[in-house]
Amino acid sequence: MNREEAPGKSPEEMYIQQKVRVLLMLKKMGSNLTPNEEAFLRNYAGVVHSQMSQLPQHPIDQGAEDVVMAFSRSETEDRRQ
Amino acid sequence: MSLQMSEAEGAVKVEEWQQTFYAPDSGIQSGATTIRDEDSVSARAGESATDMEAQYSLTRAQRVRAAMFPETLVEGETALTAHSNPDQPTNVQRLAEPSQLLKTAIVHLINYQDDAELATRAVPELTKLLADEDQVVVNKAALIVNQLTRKEASRRVLMQSPQMVSAVVRAMQNTGDLETARCAASVLHSLSHQREGLLAIFKSGGIPALVRMLSSPMESVLFYAITTLHNLLLHQEGAKMAVRLADGLQRMVPLLKKTNPKFLAITTDCLQLLSYGNQESKLIILANGGPESLVFIMRNHNYEKLLWTTSRVLKVLSVCPSNKPAIVDAGGMQALGQHLTGSSQRLTQNCLWTLRNLSDAATKQEGLDGLLQILVSQLGSDDVNMLTCATGILSNLTCNNARNKALVTQSGGVEALIHAVLRAGEKEDVAEPAVCALRHLTSRHPDAELAQNAVRLHYGIPAITKLLGQPHYWPVVKATVGLIRNLALCPANQAPLRESGTIPRLVNLLLKAHQETQRHGSGAQQTYQDGVRMEEIVEGCTGALHILARDPINRGEIASMQTIPLFVQLLYSYVENIKRVSAGVLCELALDKQCAEMIDAEGASAPLMELLHSPNEGIATYAAAVLFRISEDKSSDYRKRVSVELTHSLFKHDPAAWEMAHAAMPLDPGYIPDDLDAVYPPYGYSDLPMDGLPLDAELHEQYMPEMTYDPRQVYPNPL
Repeated sequence: MNREEAPGKSPEEMYIQQKVRVLLMLKKMGSNLTPNEEAFLRNYAGVVHSQMSQLPQHPIDQGAEDVVMAFSRSETEDRRQ
Repeated sequence: MSLQMSEAEGAVKVEEWQQTFYAPDSGIQSGATTIRDEDSVSARAGESATDMEAQYSLTRAQRVRAAMFPETLVEGETALTAHSNPDQPTNVQRLAEPSQLLKTAIVHLINYQDDAELATRAVPELTKLLADEDQVVVNKAALIVNQLTRKEASRRVLMQSPQMVSAVVRAMQNTGDLETARCAASVLHSLSHQREGLLAIFKSGGIPALVRMLSSPMESVLFYAITTLHNLLLHQEGAKMAVRLADGLQRMVPLLKKTNPKFLAITTDCLQLLSYGNQESKLIILANGGPESLVFIMRNHNYEKLLWTTSRVLKVLSVCPSNKPAIVDAGGMQALGQHLTGSSQRLTQNCLWTLRNLSDAATKQEGLDGLLQILVSQLGSDDVNMLTCATGILSNLTCNNARNKALVTQSGGVEALIHAVLRAGEKEDVAEPAVCALRHLTSRHPDAELAQNAVRLHYGIPAITKLLGQPHYWPVVKATVGLIRNLALCPANQAPLRESGTIPRLVNLLLKAHQETQRHGSGAQQTYQDGVRMEEIVEGCTGALHILARDPINRGEIASMQTIPLFVQLLYSYVENIKRVSAGVLCELALDKQCAEMIDAEGASAPLMELLHSPNEGIATYAAAVLFRISEDKSSDYRKRVSVELTHSLFKHDPAAWEMAHAAMPLDPGYIPDDLDAVYPPYGYSDLPMDGLPLDAELHEQYMPEMTYDPRQVYPNPL
């Protein structure tokens, strides 16, 4: 969560800003929002606009990473032909 | 001058040797053509028949021949029997065919015995001559010994003489004359075809001498030396250790730069014999540039036996953690991939096993497009070894490699992998990598959605769901739940996944795995089954249910299985990923009002408040969202607490701003309105005046319009 805030913001403004950020992050992660939440974002479109550029660019919560399988733990038996 | 003198001396010595030998002139000094002993009789026509007979009588073999097979005597020789009648056939001639065969065998035996007697008489003298100071003598003696090895009987006599073999070995390693070295090496090569000969060479210190011959500038010496060493490595106990001790590997690896395919085949086979199961040997091969040379051979030769022996060395080296990256960096993957479609089954299989071993070190290699396409086509094979290798290689090469993922997807890899899963049955060595490969293809690359749809379109969902059933092989289960999670990302897959019974299977697996973790304690203790931690199964199943819960019908089914208490409990897990997925699934379930109440009733608020402070953005986001959703119809006190915690976490790194916010907030109960049905007009942030904002209750009512909840509102249909 963004903790760097411009000086002079009121607690209410900061709260709105962070709430918008939470909802935008949810959307970025593919989660659904309630109608009220969608309405909230519409209500604070200006904050949405300013927060969009501050969202992390890297993907969030993509699930488990790919992992290699180690096959070369031991030599396979070799039959001379 | 000295040469003439030594030649004269040599001639004397050979003449002396001949006089002790009843055999005819070999022609070494006289230049006469080598003649057989029977012929020598005719050469001495001046001698009387009596003398000739007397000579015959001195040789047992000759007496036997005269008695039994007079027809084998050459012109001038007489039969010894007193009862012979030229007009009548001999007893032997009267015998039937089987007896004729017996006669042939006995003739051979007689000749054999002749050769043996000849060699027996010659060995002591030849042994001495091989050690002579005169190199000409040594050379001639070596030539003679080499001749003797051409016949089995005399060869056997030679190998039965440790002194002779030692003399040959010493002559080979001490001589400065290439021809002598060649003869001596040829002798050892001849002896190495019998066990007795191998033992004699081994005991005579032949191995270090032969290893030294690997540096000879003469190709024939090289050939004899490597072939003899090969025979020793194959059949003589102790030879491998002796070759290693004599620095044989260090001498052999540079020979890989030669061009003769048959020579290379023997050399590579020697390397395989020496390095199989011996880590030190593998490191020596690496240190001497072995991987590069072996890969070069695979790229540039087409002699099947050489390719096969080389692939066997690469297979042995491919299990060595140090050799593996060197082989890959030398282009080993591409080179081995050239030989997967030929007619040699043994070559193809060896290349596949080697590729499989190397594959986890090759995830970042470029230029593997051709290999990937061949592997996809091999997924259609019924050969279980081929399937095992192809699925394993594809699984690793698609790991964290978007290009390879896209290529395999576009080459029909999804369909081919599904068929491999269907054919795998209970063969985990095929099923696990095949499912892992599908899991890789269905996430983290631009064509992931294409792959997710392809699984459904090729009827893969029922087959994949079936893998969750018993008996549980946990590595396959783990891979499958990860794949299901990815498949659920595609909205069109949600219903098919539900219809195939995925949700109850996942919930049951989750319960089972969670029970195992609880049974074995908490904290640092982890429970493994088939090499898989049960915490991984908990994480995987919860993660899959999280994504499945994006669908409203699935959401209802998940909640109806009494899973909410478990998900809340998982918020306390020490495993970060389990906290994330459980917060995630609760976030989705909390979209539903009833579920939100159930979540709250389970006491989720406390752990969620803690998770607000998580450094993991995903966890903090999910936790905040769940708290928002469960606090919508809460009392003002509750919502205030949430607000304070949220703000606290937001101000965690900015204490000054926290102080300002804390001082500005009135703490009276009227801070948050109780009227939950009030609807507040929306306003944009940009319309807010920057100064003089009254911090009274009215403003706070407007400040948190989202805290109101109208139960009459209907959630829109998601997705």
